[in-house]
Amino acid sequence: MTLRAWASQVSPRQAAHVFAVSNIAFLGIDIALAHRANDYARSVEWAPVVFSALATLLLSPGAFGARHPMVANLDRAVGWGAIAVGVVGMVLHLQSGFFATQTLHDLVYSAPFVAPLSYVGVGLLVLLLRSTDANEPAFGAWLLLLSLGGFVGNFGLSVLDHAQNGFFHVTEWIPVVSAALAIGFLVVTLVRPAAMPLRVALAVMAAQVVVGLAGFVLHVRADLHGAAASKLDRFVFGAPPFAPMLFADLAMLAAIGLWATAREATRA
Amino acid sequence: MSFRAVFIAVVLATALVVGAFLINQRRPAVERNQPTAAMVAATGKCAECHRRETSAIIDQFERSKHAAKGVSCLDCHKPADGQPGTDHRGFTIAKTLTAKNCAQCHTTEYDQFARSRHAAPAWASVNGAKDMSPEQRALGERHHPGWVDRAPMSIGILEGASALASGCNACHAIGKPNADGSFGTCTNCHARHTASIALAREPTTCGQCHMGPDHSQLEIYGESKHGALFAAQRGSFDMAADPKKLTTKDMSVPTCATCHMSGLEGMKVTHDTTERLSYFLFAPVSTKRPNGDRGQGEMKEVCLKCHTRPKIDDFYAQAERVLESTNEKVKGATEVVASLRKEGLLTPTPFDEPIEFVEFDLWHYYGRTAKHGAFMGGADFVQWHGNYELLRLRTDLDRSAVELRAARKENR
Repeated sequence: MTLRAWASQVSPRQAAHVFAVSNIAFLGIDIALAHRANDYARSVEWAPVVFSALATLLLSPGAFGARHPMVANLDRAVGWGAIAVGVVGMVLHLQSGFFATQTLHDLVYSAPFVAPLSYVGVGLLVLLLRSTDANEPAFGAWLLLLSLGGFVGNFGLSVLDHAQNGFFHVTEWIPVVSAALAIGFLVVTLVRPAAMPLRVALAVMAAQVVVGLAGFVLHVRADLHGAAASKLDRFVFGAPPFAPMLFADLAMLAAIGLWATAREATRA
Repeated sequence: MSFRAVFIAVVLATALVVGAFLINQRRPAVERNQPTAAMVAATGKCAECHRRETSAIIDQFERSKHAAKGVSCLDCHKPADGQPGTDHRGFTIAKTLTAKNCAQCHTTEYDQFARSRHAAPAWASVNGAKDMSPEQRALGERHHPGWVDRAPMSIGILEGASALASGCNACHAIGKPNADGSFGTCTNCHARHTASIALAREPTTCGQCHMGPDHSQLEIYGESKHGALFAAQRGSFDMAADPKKLTTKDMSVPTCATCHMSGLEGMKVTHDTTERLSYFLFAPVSTKRPNGDRGQGEMKEVCLKCHTRPKIDDFYAQAERVLESTNEKVKGATEVVASLRKEGLLTPTPFDEPIEFVEFDLWHYYGRTAKHGAFMGGADFVQWHGNYELLRLRTDLDRSAVELRAARKENR
């Protein structure tokens, strides 16, 4: 089966559904590693890990095509739950340091406050998929908007995380520039969809995938050459290996959005 | 293809990157400019956890000169040569910090300290040389012949391990031989995260150990004119002034560090606190130190910042007369006990008979106090806490000797 033949059988909506499930599952793994750096000092740090595990189980039937009304209701509950986890997580992350004096220093060195908003993004995506808007022509634009939100967060994370490292290596500016380009192109695509050629937008997203993969390699390499004797410690306390993959991940969401938009345009 | 759309997208992206760059530039240089990536990370990362767990050390560090100079946590806490490292939340740090960690930057100061009595002799005077490596022992003996290769102090052994650990060694560990080859830690005087020059200049810092009946320097200083003036005027002093640029304008009244260590008005700063001393005042019978004349000359240079040469020479002459008189008194008492031992009236075991404590108190408490009082301007310590007690104990000693001899006669 060719890619085109496969694409004709799968709808952007189905792809987005699989995207949502895989994201919420992977967020659990990523956070399990990230919170280990804090030794799970507070029991609430287990909450997103447990939520991700449960949410993955609950969202899977819908992603694989189950049509029972209960499945839709569970999806909606998971969507709202993800939003709650994300908002509460952001406040808790800021409380780790930022609210003390509210300085740039505290913002840089507090727990990454943007990171929990990933749950808000996935929660909104799940609610979108279970709302009437998913059948409307604007579906692709909504996906692009969610991807844009993700890239805005990614821009903040890239700046703040690499600021902790003092942008010691000049390559640490690459994700900042890359996320900024993604934001610029997605904003224009959303505001003036007709003006932005699909191929250009896809090319910018393809560049995000390359940046994500390169970042993954650079982070893993930095961790492998870390000073800590324990290899696990190098990954737990070193450069977060999966963080750069968020570029590829969000680029895929944007690509699904562009695909949906193009499909609607063809139909129209 | 719409060029305008691409142009707007690129302009938006550029604005975001420039904004990020400008915000990053507003961060303190210490958080950005470090020699390695690990040190950049350590500067802020360590504080992130330790502000929650041991918040005082962060506040102390932030007030320190180290912080102002951009020293990172890892600068001090990374393992120095010969120190085992331990993994700590992504960083490799030394298990225990010693003077060697400070010596990475303050080499001259450490070298001066290592040849002072604060190093090997301080530890050996209680514990002997058994814990030292051959190199540490050799260094100590080179600068203090006979004061390092010695047996542990008998009183410490008799009193037991807990008294030794929490009593004697709480002070004498200033010269503890470390496994990495260094001696002690600088934090005894400068504290740890405060790393303070001002603290080391406080008389009470030296007085943590140099106090009490056996070496009552803090009490003598408090009674002296120096101490009285310092208490009255300390608010107007710059206690944190750069040691190499210290002037009488910064501190017009001396503390312990001014006379024994400072680079006052262009003098050479030293961390060898023995360098400006003339005599072994702590010894039962005080003799001149090998470099005593040079030491006295250097000390007199400090005195000259406030006093005229004839006054200083007269002061030293008076103090030396007290020293000679005290030596005679101690020698006399020692001879009494030695003759009793020779006559078989005392056992060779130390500190098993009351008269041995009288003899020990005589030189160890009151002989030292009289001499220290004379050299530090503490009249009351020369007289009531010194010579009066020397007289009283000598009388007790003589009476005990008479009683011991009489008792033997009766037994015969």
